[in-house]
Amino acid sequence: MEIIVCIKQVVAGDRVKIDPRTYSLVRSAESSHINPFDLFALDMAVQLRKKYAGSITALTMGPKISEEVLWEALSLGADRAILLSDPRCAASDTLATSYVLGMGIRKIGRFDLILCGMRTTDGDTGQVGPQLAEELNLPHIGNVEKVEGERGLLRIERLTDGFREILEVSLPALLTVSPRRTVRLASLIEIQDAFTRCSIESWNLEDLKADPAKAGISGSGTWVEGLTPLTQEKSCVLIEGDPRQQAKSLLKKLIERNLLS
Amino acid sequence: MDLTLSIQQRQIRRMARQFAKTELAPIAKEIDEEGRFPWEAVEKMGALNFFGMQAPRRYGGAELDSISYCLVIEEISRLCASMGLMLAVHNSVVVFPLNQFGSDEQKAKFLPPLASGEKIGAFCLTEPNAGSDAMAIESTAIRDGDSYIVNANKIFVTNGGVADTLIVFVSVNPEDVKKGFSAILVERGTPGFEVGLLENNCGMRANPVTSIVLTDCRVPRTNLLGREGDGFKVAMAALDTGRIGIAAQAVGIAQGALDVSLKYAKERIQFRVPLARHQAIQMMLADMGTMVEAARLLTLKAAHVRDQGGDLSGPSAMAKLFAGRTASKVASMGVQIHGGYGYSKDYPIERYFRDARVTEIYEGTNEIQQIVIARELLKGGED
Ligand SMILES: Cc1cc2nc3c(=O)[nH]c(=O)nc-3n(C[C@H](O)[C@H](O)[C@@H](O)COP(=O)(O)OP(=O)(O)OC[C@H]3O[C@@H](n4cnc5c(N)ncnc54)[C@H](O)[C@@H]3O)c2cc1C
Ligand SMILES: Cc1cc2nc3c(=O)[nH]c(=O)nc-3n(C[C@H](O)[C@H](O)[C@H](O)COP(=O)(O)OP(=O)(O)OC[C@H]3O[C@@H](n4cnc5c(N)ncnc54)[C@H](O)[C@@H]3O)c2cc1C
Repeated sequence: MEIIVCIKQVVAGDRVKIDPRTYSLVRSAESSHINPFDLFALDMAVQLRKKYAGSITALTMGPKISEEVLWEALSLGADRAILLSDPRCAASDTLATSYVLGMGIRKIGRFDLILCGMRTTDGDTGQVGPQLAEELNLPHIGNVEKVEGERGLLRIERLTDGFREILEVSLPALLTVSPRRTVRLASLIEIQDAFTRCSIESWNLEDLKADPAKAGISGSGTWVEGLTPLTQEKSCVLIEGDPRQQAKSLLKKLIERNLLS
Repeated sequence: MDLTLSIQQRQIRRMARQFAKTELAPIAKEIDEEGRFPWEAVEKMGALNFFGMQAPRRYGGAELDSISYCLVIEEISRLCASMGLMLAVHNSVVVFPLNQFGSDEQKAKFLPPLASGEKIGAFCLTEPNAGSDAMAIESTAIRDGDSYIVNANKIFVTNGGVADTLIVFVSVNPEDVKKGFSAILVERGTPGFEVGLLENNCGMRANPVTSIVLTDCRVPRTNLLGREGDGFKVAMAALDTGRIGIAAQAVGIAQGALDVSLKYAKERIQFRVPLARHQAIQMMLADMGTMVEAARLLTLKAAHVRDQGGDLSGPSAMAKLFAGRTASKVASMGVQIHGGYGYSKDYPIERYFRDARVTEIYEGTNEIQQIVIARELLKGGED
């Protein structure tokens, strides 16, 4: 089975810095890491390859430093890694991102399955998977837990609102993978091997024969108009007195705040 | 001169950091308090190749460069110094000298289980009457046919309570200890092998540092590491390398102490503002950060010298001296920033304070490092 896993480099939650003019994220190697949801997709790909053979290509669109997440994917078992990188892709929204990823996948050519994470920890729209399926005109199933079968039809299991849903889908298809599984770390030997065995291919818009007007800001249907940081005010109130009095005044405070009636 | 880490080194650091955060941070306090060796985490470290970081691939090692090795030790020690110590000793004063001085048969037999973490290593030099003065050892190995009969009383053995493969320093010539100074491999379970008392140390309490007593232990002659009389060479090569690992450990402890102090300084309110808004606290934090960075650079420099095959003694002694002092000083300043809470077991800084101190003592005290450094400086020619 030929599998493509889409991987995004995200900015660590506590290190988010926003460019005050463009409202886009400021990235650095130190403050970025692989989108944790994409690790579940990669793990599913590795399990499928174990069972049905084939190969795994990790694909990301991003600036040069996104190479780091591709190295991580290679350490965790990807066979090939491709970086779609072009200054004209900067500030892409999900539509433009899906277009560029789609063009990358067209250039890769042969594939059976595309796996995406459910969402990301920074942009967090959850749109890229489904939009990419539309871009490539592929069937799409979200929140997938389990996959079986190889040729023709795949049997898919997913959990939705208390139901276990069993679906069948024809290949090629795109799945977004449920985060309900544990991810492992690459061992030192796996990391060392990735660096001796592999390299990263980098493609720009010309390589993709992509239309620059459909990428980056010009290809985006949405843009960020304004951004205001929210601060959460927390305060600590100490309740005095013996336990009985404390319980009484706690009850009173909870009722005052409409938390109990 | 390039002071940036390679992508590969950053990936390794990221992985170690992630491991320490998910597997060691949640248990660090508990295993310190209970003096428990966390086998569950040890097994996972084995799977990640932490027990054979620099060993050759054919024996199951990962063949890391020394800088990557330091990064792993730093990240582990940053959250759990006891495990940093366990790995530093295992990798740099057991696996390394075994690979450097061992015969092909010894390497084939001992290295694979050590590199996989199935077996744990220990380094036994110190005795009741021989600390800084290694030549004062009283342990002996007397030839008897194809064996040595080993008698030894070793103390302060890191990993002692759990070690399977031990490098023991002995003299094969009781008349002339110096001439007979030798290193021999002893396996746990050999008749006459006994794990002695657990040292009741103030820090590093999750590491079972014990004494090891060998009474008429019959050890095959083929277990001698190097030749008779090579012991000093083995010990010095191991310690020159080991000191870089201890320096990295000290950097990790210092960084960990700084991490928790920064967090506390932002949380604790006094005079209606967080401590971090008081300039006196900022100055302490600035000094701590600067010292940590200086210690790290000196440590990575020593690691770089090692990878380039340069003369290690001076650089590794300087790194260990400076990093050990930094760990103690930074942890102590961290306690100060925490005020009374810094003296309480409710906050992790007291553990850093206890763990830090010994990095100025083991694998050569500060004073021994100073002797080494001064000797190197004085023997240098003029430019
Ligand atoms: C502050 C801010 C506000 C934003 N607001 C909007 C907005 O309102 N509308 C909008 O369209 N965009 C918005 N964006 C941009 C958007 O978040 C990303 O730039 C877009 O490229 C990816 O969307 P996502 O992170 O939400 O991914 P999701 O759709 O949450 O990602 C799902 C999966 O798609 C794959 N994927 C996503 N991105 C990539 C990639 N670059 N390379 C490879 N695989 C990928 C991964 O498998 C991922 O798990 C905003 C960005 C910022 C910083
Ligand atoms: C937690 C822990 C783990 C350890 N792990 C190991 C281990 O795995 N294997 C092992 O073999 N040992 C181990 N040790 C022992 C450690 O290496 C020794 O404690 C150290 O070498 C110092 O020896 P000593 O304690 O006998 O002190 P001493 O040598 O008695 O020194 C006492 C003081 O005198 C100073 N001093 C001594 N000689 C001189 C001199 N010539 N000039 C100036 N000052 C001098 C010292 O610097 C020190 O300040 C460990 C110790 C601890 C606490």
